[in-house]
Amino acid sequence: MGKKRKHSETQTAEPRKKDEGAPERPKRTLMGWKDKDEVNQQTESSPDSPQVFRNKEKVMVTCSRRINYRYRHLMLNMVSLLPHCKKDNKVESRSSKGATLNELIELRGCSSALFFECRKHQDLYMWMARCPNGPSVKFLVNAVHTMEELKLTGNHLKGSRPLLTFSSNFEKDAHWKLLKEMIIQIFGTPKEHRKSKPYHDHVFVFSIVDDHIWFRNYQKSVPHNESDKMVRGLDKMTLVEVGPRFCLNPIKIFAGSFGGPTLYENPFYVSPNQIRALEKRKKAGKYAKKVKAKTRRKMHEQSNPLEPDEFADMWRE
Amino acid sequence: MEMMLYFHAMGLRRKDLSFLQSGKAVEDNVNDVMGDYSEEDDSESVSESESDQEDVKLAEPSKTAIYNREGLVEKCEDISWPENVGWMHKLSLDVDQEKEVDVNDDLARELAFFTQALEGTRAAFDKFQSMGLPFLRPPDYYAEMVKTDAHMQKVKGKLLAQKRQIEESEERRKARDAKRIAKEVQAEKLKERAKQKKQEIEEVKKWRKQRQQSGFKDGKDGMPDLGFENGKAFERSSKKRPGVSRGDRSGGKAKQGGGKSNNKNKKNREFRNSKFGFGGRKGMKKQNTAEMTNDVLAFNKSNAAGNRKRKR
Repeated sequence: MGKKRKHSETQTAEPRKKDEGAPERPKRTLMGWKDKDEVNQQTESSPDSPQVFRNKEKVMVTCSRRINYRYRHLMLNMVSLLPHCKKDNKVESRSSKGATLNELIELRGCSSALFFECRKHQDLYMWMARCPNGPSVKFLVNAVHTMEELKLTGNHLKGSRPLLTFSSNFEKDAHWKLLKEMIIQIFGTPKEHRKSKPYHDHVFVFSIVDDHIWFRNYQKSVPHNESDKMVRGLDKMTLVEVGPRFCLNPIKIFAGSFGGPTLYENPFYVSPNQIRALEKRKKAGKYAKKVKAKTRRKMHEQSNPLEPDEFADMWRE
Repeated sequence: MEMMLYFHAMGLRRKDLSFLQSGKAVEDNVNDVMGDYSEEDDSESVSESESDQEDVKLAEPSKTAIYNREGLVEKCEDISWPENVGWMHKLSLDVDQEKEVDVNDDLARELAFFTQALEGTRAAFDKFQSMGLPFLRPPDYYAEMVKTDAHMQKVKGKLLAQKRQIEESEERRKARDAKRIAKEVQAEKLKERAKQKKQEIEEVKKWRKQRQQSGFKDGKDGMPDLGFENGKAFERSSKKRPGVSRGDRSGGKAKQGGGKSNNKNKKNREFRNSKFGFGGRKGMKKQNTAEMTNDVLAFNKSNAAGNRKRKR
């Protein structure tokens, strides 16, 4: 997995503090002893400090076969936005989906996955899963706008760490909290990642409107007149939209990775197939209804004959 | 059961519902707190509303939706990072969202996202300030960007094209308005002149009638009051038409006797003449004067070349 670079404290066996599903990671903070229970520990000197935390998140990004061009571009945008991801080849079939994908993730040594599944060349489903035994979520993706659209004019450093903002209604319910946690771990770039760049010049917006999660990516832009002042015109800071836009509709949350018992099901979700079927059914009866309406009118006219018109003979020659 | 009836009313078949109920079949050992959820969301009253992502919601929440609150909380604790991880790792901010945003109102929705991002950024900036870390990108830091330079060129081109389009349409509109106004003004002026002319003719007629009526007496009162006695001298119009020689090619618009500019005009004229040759005096080729009309004999002689062209 991750090679130790400069911070080469050899960490042999990371002691497990709690009995958790996720593997214990040593904590480390830049500022030294920022945390409560490390006040008496020297983090730099001790080679085997269990408190150093390193975010070793790796995300595997794949898609299914027969994916649409638009969704493929969305996937590529995600790859460029997350420097801690690994892009993999297309996965084949859906029958043994869970097992195959889990194996792939293990093989690449990743801890989470973003899987884009496109059905019927029309609908895009996105799976966010945590590999070993974590929860997984299936979303339906709507309203996709990729970064290549010329109306989205912003630009930012490739690999700079994003600022994640969530609207306050993520705290309202348990399933939103779980989703928020997963989003922070998957979309947040780890702190000293090899490919990450300094400065934080873009913001991700996740907000829940109408029970959907909306995603936006903005670049922070400041007018460049005053140089090098920290408080440099923060009032004049504007945001320019950069990145892809999409809207996620959560369908189901599973306890295991790509399977397992269902923890949550969206009660309002209607699958796009059903929507299309409904529409077709609505249209199907149009001709029959028209014919029926005609016969009804005829019957009505026959049963209620009009009175003879006074002016009927007026213009007769 | 109610769900079944509901879907039957909508004409769906049973097998379409199977995916919705698959969750129930799979989970065995997890506590099913289904009733717990249904009582929460009965207040939803979204009838088949088409949100703008072409997505239809059920009119009432499906009663058999699973909601395993304890399971969710447990999983959340499982995956979350330890409590005392610094904020620098997470970089997540919560922004208060005061009011409900209507999904279908695009502008309001985007505005809400924008303000959320802005507030988040401000809060983060404060935090970074207090920690003394650099925040924004300095203007001289060049590194690989997420969109290529070629792409940004295209974006710039499109923006410029849009701006140019707007400006052109503005100009066209202004030109149209100006033309309309100019036309109106011109029409006014013509009307004025016509009226003036008619008025003067009327006055002369009146005067003639007056004279006729009063028997052609000759006296000073007979003359029409044309305003000569009023003390106003005969005002020349400002257009410099009279006084132009017959051969003048400047159309009467050249300034007669302007002191300073005269020399420049002359020099200009001489330069042009030397370059392009003198054009010749205007209209002196043929004249209908007394001499020519009396000179019948010269007619045949002088125009011998032209005689050939006449019909024989």
